[in-house]
Amino acid sequence: MDAVVAKPQSFKSDLKPVWCPGCGDFAVLSAITRTLTELGLPPREVALISGIGCSSRLPAYTSVYGFHGVHGRALPLASGLKLARPDLTVLSVGGDGDGFSIGGNHFVHACRRNVDLTYIVMDNSVYGMTKGQASPTTEADWTGSKLTPEGPGLAPFRPLEMALSSGASFIARAFSGDPLELTRQLCAAIEHRGFSFVHVLSPCVTYRPEQKGWRARVHGSFEAPTADRREAFLRLLDDDGFATGILYQGRETPFQPTAQATAPVAALGAQFAV
Amino acid sequence: MRMDTVSPMDTLEDFIAHAIALEEDSAIRFDDMADALDVHQNHEVTVLFRKMAHFSRLHLAEAQKLAEGLTLPRFKPWEYKWPQAEPPETPELDATHYLMTPHHALVMALESEKRGHAYYAGLAQSHANARIRELAQEFAEEEAEHVALLEAMMAKYPAPPADWDEDMDPPVSVD
Repeated sequence: MDAVVAKPQSFKSDLKPVWCPGCGDFAVLSAITRTLTELGLPPREVALISGIGCSSRLPAYTSVYGFHGVHGRALPLASGLKLARPDLTVLSVGGDGDGFSIGGNHFVHACRRNVDLTYIVMDNSVYGMTKGQASPTTEADWTGSKLTPEGPGLAPFRPLEMALSSGASFIARAFSGDPLELTRQLCAAIEHRGFSFVHVLSPCVTYRPEQKGWRARVHGSFEAPTADRREAFLRLLDDDGFATGILYQGRETPFQPTAQATAPVAALGAQFAV
Repeated sequence: MRMDTVSPMDTLEDFIAHAIALEEDSAIRFDDMADALDVHQNHEVTVLFRKMAHFSRLHLAEAQKLAEGLTLPRFKPWEYKWPQAEPPETPELDATHYLMTPHHALVMALESEKRGHAYYAGLAQSHANARIRELAQEFAEEEAEHVALLEAMMAKYPAPPADWDEDMDPPVSVD
């Protein structure tokens, strides 16, 4: 079975995405399936864990193991799974609201903990599933939502700086309009030993149609990754938010405690009996 | 990001590997877009996108036939030398809309065929390898036929009124 070279389509499930036509998340799904094909990973050895939001629907559209978790809690679930099953390739996916607001604290500590998993955030600077409110990465002057008619008035969250200062050992940014470059980054992220964070600019064509203009704004300034955290910080000082490529790849040791003998499942269940 | 000019390919095997990837990627993207439009009940455009995927697969089969008896190189997805970020005939995802009309779908298909034509015509004109020039010329002529065919189809589907994307009962609304 595994000797047969899989095609990316074999990593897609029969369920068709309900995303709005034109959504950048389609390209991210496609890049993930290409990546798994490229790395020759059998579906039974991969798990995709998500939170809540448009992009968090992604696990259902694949044939690998999936878990559609609670809002903002994808990373604790993914970390727990990886610690319990280090043999699995664990990917966590979600959006900017799920990852940087509701799950913001988990993001910081997942970077710090450096568990060997890959976190892919599809950032469209808006809460799409709840119909278009400002998210942590929304520009201060975006007036597209009636909830913030004068704009959120806050400086947007800067995910790469946060990841770098929190200790992530692999940090990259890609654009959904360049899915082949995204595939390259995802292959490198999965092959990296430690917590890898891939920030994907993924336009919301429904609530932020102006993001179609991102195609003209992205540029490849992070072409060569650095293993020097200071150098990475310096690069970020000049970052306009549209530089793509692998910014940082360090050699920090991943967190993977030695497995302890565990009790039978029934005994564990008994501890939680009410 | 990839360069904005076509990088040269060295061998006939490279060229055919690119031709196969070009058609395969186009077929997959048209199928993905058909699925997306189908979910949103836009059946007329779904049918058109399926047709485009079918045509891409026919061309894919032709390219695969050329590969018979050859050992093709195995490129990683990002190692192909395309003029843009994606293969020339891959339609751009962000041009789709749940209310798009057959006219829009044909415009997308036409643009992708024109890019395919320009890609092959460029190789036919400039490649150092005579066999690649010859095949690229054949492919460019085929692409020109597809362009003409799509332009003829477009006569049946004129541009819709400017308010084509206005929805009196939108499935989504801000706040």
